[in-house]
Amino acid sequence: MRAIYLIARREYLSYVATWGFWLGLLSVPVFATLGASIPGWIESSQPTRYFAVIDETGMGLEQVIRDRRVEARREAVRDQVETLTRFIGEEAERQAALDAFDANPNTSQAASDAFEAVGFPGLGENLDLEGRDAVMVGAPGADLNDLRPYISGDATIETSEGPRALYAAFAFRPSDTHPLEVVYLSENVTNRDLRNEIVRIVREHLRDQALLERGLTAAEVDTLLGLRLDVTSLLASPDADADTEVTTLDRAPFIVAIILGFILWLAIFSVANMLLTSMIEEKGGKIIEVLLSTARFHEILIGKLGGVAAMSLTLFAIWGVVGGVLTALGGAALSTVNPDLVGVLGVVFDPVLLGAALIFFIAGYLMYGAIFLAMGSLCDTLQDAQTLMSPVIWTLMLPLLFLFFSLEASDSTVVRIASWVPVWTPFVMMARLPADPPLWEVLGAGALMVFTTVLVLWAAAAVFRQGALRQADADTVRRWFKLGGKKG
Amino acid sequence: MTEYALVVEGLTKSFGGKPAVREVSFKAAKGEITGFLGPNGAGKTTTLRMSLGVIGPDRGRAELFGRAPDAAGMDRVGFLPEERGVYRKMTAEAVIVFFARLKGVPAGEARRRARDYLERFGLADAAKKKIKELSKGMAQKVQIIAAIVHEPEFIILDEPFSGLDPVNQALLEQMIREQAEAGRTVLFSTHVMEHAERLCDRIILMARGQKVFDGTVNEALAQVPRQVLLAAPPGEPVEDVLSGFGELVNEGEDEDGAEINWRLTLNAGIESQAVLRACVEAGLKLTHFEPRRPHLHDAFVALVGEEGARELEASAEDN
Repeated sequence: MRAIYLIARREYLSYVATWGFWLGLLSVPVFATLGASIPGWIESSQPTRYFAVIDETGMGLEQVIRDRRVEARREAVRDQVETLTRFIGEEAERQAALDAFDANPNTSQAASDAFEAVGFPGLGENLDLEGRDAVMVGAPGADLNDLRPYISGDATIETSEGPRALYAAFAFRPSDTHPLEVVYLSENVTNRDLRNEIVRIVREHLRDQALLERGLTAAEVDTLLGLRLDVTSLLASPDADADTEVTTLDRAPFIVAIILGFILWLAIFSVANMLLTSMIEEKGGKIIEVLLSTARFHEILIGKLGGVAAMSLTLFAIWGVVGGVLTALGGAALSTVNPDLVGVLGVVFDPVLLGAALIFFIAGYLMYGAIFLAMGSLCDTLQDAQTLMSPVIWTLMLPLLFLFFSLEASDSTVVRIASWVPVWTPFVMMARLPADPPLWEVLGAGALMVFTTVLVLWAAAAVFRQGALRQADADTVRRWFKLGGKKG
Repeated sequence: MTEYALVVEGLTKSFGGKPAVREVSFKAAKGEITGFLGPNGAGKTTTLRMSLGVIGPDRGRAELFGRAPDAAGMDRVGFLPEERGVYRKMTAEAVIVFFARLKGVPAGEARRRARDYLERFGLADAAKKKIKELSKGMAQKVQIIAAIVHEPEFIILDEPFSGLDPVNQALLEQMIREQAEAGRTVLFSTHVMEHAERLCDRIILMARGQKVFDGTVNEALAQVPRQVLLAAPPGEPVEDVLSGFGELVNEGEDEDGAEINWRLTLNAGIESQAVLRACVEAGLKLTHFEPRRPHLHDAFVALVGEEGARELEASAEDN
């Protein structure tokens, strides 16, 4: 026990007592924030795309496009108002806000009115009222050829930002075979958002005109196009009266479990890799045999596994404490706004799911950690290890596919079978748990996983014994599986 | 209480069907320095590993302090393996403390001893330096200290001199002598016969997995026929006078042709004084007379033949 403790302690301190560990710890929220912000940054840093429309059809399409875009923007802002008011209160408050919005034709003023109506006048300030990613300007020429210098940048148009080149130009022409011919001219051939938006607007306009020409009134067209089905999802119960409506809260455990499955996968893969690297370093540094003069094989193996596990648990504990504090603070703040939202946090920090995640982490870590340690003991360099790692990496990658599957069908036969494969159980069973799989399946797959873990540890110790004393190496394994082809 | 720190009997081990060690038996008496000699691949390291229970033998047994090697026995042993290294990112003191604690030395005592040994080995200034900042020789000294810091009764050093410069080799020889004088048993393997000749009370010679000799240095040297190197001017009746004493070989004239060199390998029981006396009585005009002192290398050659000697020389070149 003394040797196990000391080896584990040394291993633990070799990670934790370094700047790298703490920088790594801090880098997670930094990179998570960066990752979450990057799409917004890309969106906001994108220059405004100015485009012009040349209508050669006489159908007033330039005005149609302008009006419909204003209308679409107003709808988008209304959706944002509706989403935000969900966090504020019940249906009555939401309706009051939307009524206030609908009453004012000026979109930016309407948003302020909406939030003022429910007692949060400042909330509308962050809304994207303008939607300035693409702005239509008057065409600086009579036909498409006149606009070419403006698109290439040889000529510029005057805008509120100063002189700018045109991003694109549309020409609408009569056609003998189609309702219209549309020519889209731009130097950007990859981004089709603007092209698709304008084509959709014109197509919808033509469809509306066609319906009007067939004798429908504008109100009838609106009714026809605004048809909506009233869909209610119910959580089935043996008693029909006991069915409850499926809410976001009901779906949350599935999403949380799958996220936990991914986190488990990432944690086990990262930590097992650390063990592999550390083992190769020790093998290359000829430390293993020195250790063997003071400790037995199993003590070194368990000590190393224990040290790195303790490092991982330290990481989880820090995040757990930080998460707990943030949850407590966030929960208190949210409860003042909407007590229902506290329920979402309860799902995220469900002790059953977190407890299961811990058990699956330990089993998965021991299995993959022992395998990676045994591989490390056979290798002197990372290059040696890469050839041996391929089958293990593939084995580790497959459960990721099942996690994606389980998002849509956690009860599918494939996912059920995958959850019984011991090396995948930690990830796939984790994702299945919220679907309440039969207890015998959870216990059976769990027992198989524990048995396999013990078997893997035993086999890893045997390989480790051979590798540590240089009685076997990567070539031995290749020869054994007849993969290498070369006799070394 | 056994008088031997280590007893091995009939140890045999094969790897992949290839025999590495065959029927090796020997004893390391307490308080003695025992040399375990032979070229690379002779089976020394495998025998030492089996002796400590690091690997199991196919046949035979090893007894450490009178019983099968176990954790308690290992705590009384200081082992420096042939394949050795230390954590490069740890300081010299931390490495020594780590290994001392693994051997059961309390933390405070381990730190005190680490500082003490580092000072004795001239490494006091390096105590707080990381191993990667030290020279190879300094790092090796740290490894040696780590092996003996728990002050074991039995010190086993596998090729301890390899990689050390002559100055540090002399320091290590001195350390081994000090440990023996302090009553500790020392067993070290080497392919360099000179170290063993200077240090050992007893030697075990290994070749191709087998023990070829086990005894004192003098007993080993007695295996080597004595030789006398002579030189005399051309025309002197050297063969007439000396051929009866042993095998006489003409090794050629010197550069200016003024004398001929001879090598006389004495028959058993003949002393070099008898040869000198015969030369004087015969009036031979000798220009050179040198009774040649045999070395362990000669004993090894005598015991294993020329092929074994070539393996030994190849080992020296490898290291």
